Amino acid sequence: MESQPTKETIEYYKHLSLFWTDLIHLMSSKPQALGSTGPMRAFATNSKKVATELIEINENLLEFNKYVTEYYKQLAETWNEAQKKVNLKAPEVPHDVEQIDAFKRIWIDIFDNDFTELFDSKKFGENYGKLVSKELDLTKHWNNITNVILQSANLPSKEEIDEVYKELHSLKKRITKIEIELKKKRDVNKNEK
Amino acid sequence: MKSETAIDPKIMEEIIRFNKNVFNAPKLVSAPDEIILEVTPHDVVQEIDKTRLLHYRPLTDKQHKTPLLISYALINRYHILDLQPEKSWVRNLLQQGFDIYMLDWGAPTAMDKYLDFDDYINGYLDSAVEHIKNESSVEKISLQGYCTGATLATAYTTLHPESVKNYIATAPVIDGWRDTTVISNLSKNMDVDKMVKTIGNMPPEFMYYCFSVLKPFEQGIEKYVKFFKNIDNKQFVDNFLRVEKWLSDTPPIPGELFKQWIKDIYQENLLIQNKMYVNNNHIDLKKIDMPIFTQVAVGDHLVSPECSMPLHYAVGSEDKTLRMYPTGHVGMIASSLSQKKVLPELGKWLLERS
Repeated sequence: MESQPTKETIEYYKHLSLFWTDLIHLMSSKPQALGSTGPMRAFATNSKKVATELIEINENLLEFNKYVTEYYKQLAETWNEAQKKVNLKAPEVPHDVEQIDAFKRIWIDIFDNDFTELFDSKKFGENYGKLVSKELDLTKHWNNITNVILQSANLPSKEEIDEVYKELHSLKKRITKIEIELKKKRDVNKNEK
Repeated sequence: MKSETAIDPKIMEEIIRFNKNVFNAPKLVSAPDEIILEVTPHDVVQEIDKTRLLHYRPLTDKQHKTPLLISYALINRYHILDLQPEKSWVRNLLQQGFDIYMLDWGAPTAMDKYLDFDDYINGYLDSAVEHIKNESSVEKISLQGYCTGATLATAYTTLHPESVKNYIATAPVIDGWRDTTVISNLSKNMDVDKMVKTIGNMPPEFMYYCFSVLKPFEQGIEKYVKFFKNIDNKQFVDNFLRVEKWLSDTPPIPGELFKQWIKDIYQENLLIQNKMYVNNNHIDLKKIDMPIFTQVAVGDHLVSPECSMPLHYAVGSEDKTLRMYPTGHVGMIASSLSQKKVLPELGKWLLERS
């Protein structure tokens, strides 16, 4: 679990960052209006957004580290257990080509079985799900930062492009439906003639 | 005095030979990029968005009347069914006199993220079936679905039974809760809403991860060792590179389709419970009342037999056949066993009903 002092420290820096970016924004918004069409447009507001995202990324990173540590712990434990089994089954050091081949076969079979058992397990599935979820949170913050940069360059954000894709998809469906109905009508007319 | 830790000279020979093979490999074999996977001649007879309908040219003078449409899986590309002449699923069926069509789903891009089950089933698949019916002047066709393509084909068959004369389900993904594979375990714990909202389509890298955890040491290490050891064996090397190229060609899966897929099949298991809906249309497996042939691989580690077999018992058809083969997911469609056993049995079954 995240410790209380760490959380307080993050909150403090978050507050500090917001305080100064807000204050700078208030102090500088008028002279800045001169550059309202250039890339420095809304610089203070954008900086604030980016700073907030970066702070939140740090929060997510702590959680992400927890699950990634558990992920590698599970892999390491399975590796150690599998190696112990191999040592028990093939205690002798192989001396010739045939022995090496036999040893390799035993090693691969035991490692594949043990790792498949791990990947099939509930504890792996749950931790992996949480790990991916935290990775997605990190991606979300990265997307948000990218959106700020895109908008400062007068380019559409990911959400705005998604809206276009959604609209296109919906339009295509409507056109297909209309085409099918038209075809049916044409077929009926043809049959009537 | 002879040291007890002396290395067998044969081991040294093996190491030197192996290193030599690694060094010589680029001179002896093609790069995967240079290999063309499509082997059987075909024509592209319909293109909608990124999908293509392929019609294979006949290899016999006479063909059976009912054409067969293959609905390939959403994972990787259709080439595995026609990877090389001696192991080609398509070529074998052509040689048995069947008229073969294949639906290539293509490679969706970011703008396809809103494509869903309805687009695939009532859009692309239905358009392909209608095209074939018109081109062949038949009222019904035979339909084969493979893996996730069989899930789509199953749903299609329940919604459009009037267009399907015979249905073949090859390793179909049907009962997600019974699936004991690693993929099923990962799917059940996935926050798919967040994934689709954040990154859009299901990225190929995620599929690579899923593949890499299936027999990680055999597939991740040993097969490459075997490849370099057999670098002089032309047939082995050709087969290896073709399969590798196919494995690495993983298109993304449209976000909405992937979301419905994970939720309806793996997390809530709606299909086998007859609770699934596609664009408000009920997917009732009892509506599959035409002849159905279900093919299951006992050693399938991508779609476990327990996940596929329930289809056989859930359909409304009286003419139903279930066959189990001692092979794996890919072995069932692209191996010498598929050529010697799986395809002749399928051909016989299909011929009696075509």
